[in-house]
Amino acid sequence: MALNILIVDDSSVMRAIIIKTLRLSQLPLGEVHEATNGQEALKVLDGNWIDLALVDINMPVMTGEEMIDRLRQNPETADLPVIVVSTEGSETRRQVLMEKGAGFVHKPFTPETLRDAIVRTLGGLDEQKAGDGTLQGGYSDL
Amino acid sequence: MSKKLETELYKAATLTFEELGFLLPTPEINEQQLNAQAEAAVSVDFEGPFSGKLLLRVYGGLLPIIAANMLGQEDAPSETLQRDALGEIVNVICGNMLPGIAGSKDVFHVSSPRAAESTDLPPVAEVQVGLGLGRADLLLFVSKYPALAEE
Repeated sequence: MALNILIVDDSSVMRAIIIKTLRLSQLPLGEVHEATNGQEALKVLDGNWIDLALVDINMPVMTGEEMIDRLRQNPETADLPVIVVSTEGSETRRQVLMEKGAGFVHKPFTPETLRDAIVRTLGGLDEQKAGDGTLQGGYSDL
Repeated sequence: MSKKLETELYKAATLTFEELGFLLPTPEINEQQLNAQAEAAVSVDFEGPFSGKLLLRVYGGLLPIIAANMLGQEDAPSETLQRDALGEIVNVICGNMLPGIAGSKDVFHVSSPRAAESTDLPPVAEVQVGLGLGRADLLLFVSKYPALAEE
């Protein structure tokens, strides 16, 4: 199964870094969609099948936390796997996000950290699909 | 200036430049770095138990290098991407600095980065990070928490 992934971040550079990391990760990638805030992301989700959302927190228009709340309220997206990719350093806020069913990756992150979080969050990926655990390159190869 | 604030700011800055910008900070600022030309400045505002602004100014040709390193490109990315890359750097520095200052329980909202605006406030912490032939200056301003400003 190829994974359709939605990347939600107001920084075009960070979206590009995440996409390159995903391409190095040996994860079975399908379509990669991008959105610059939570509201745009909800529109993308309305018209596309998405298996996983990687979401920043502090964004204009609609924050990542508001977006996750909307997802969980909608029966069609309530179970969508979400990983927050953020500089958030507050344990209190991280706990709240975890209670909303989101994984967490702290910026700056290594490619391995992101890949491991995706594998953990999706759970069902077997080792063959997820590669052998070694990324083909690091950030310096991005 | 507060030594603790400057230590936390310097730690967050060097971590971010190393892991996100692939630039190794030099242990001291040399003459060339000190006299380098200013290129660009960005800032983020933060609000929480105390509020303020973190400003990042880069000197000496670092702007295209940081963006190219972050994106893994040989050539310099567009000016828009260069500014976006610098914005992400200051955003990550701020996010990593705040728990060091305030502890891990307090929640802050960090704004989107923007071209730096002048402020009448004096900085409560200021650090310089030597990077190749240039340098980065970071200035922390605190507007609502007098005790921290005087710390």
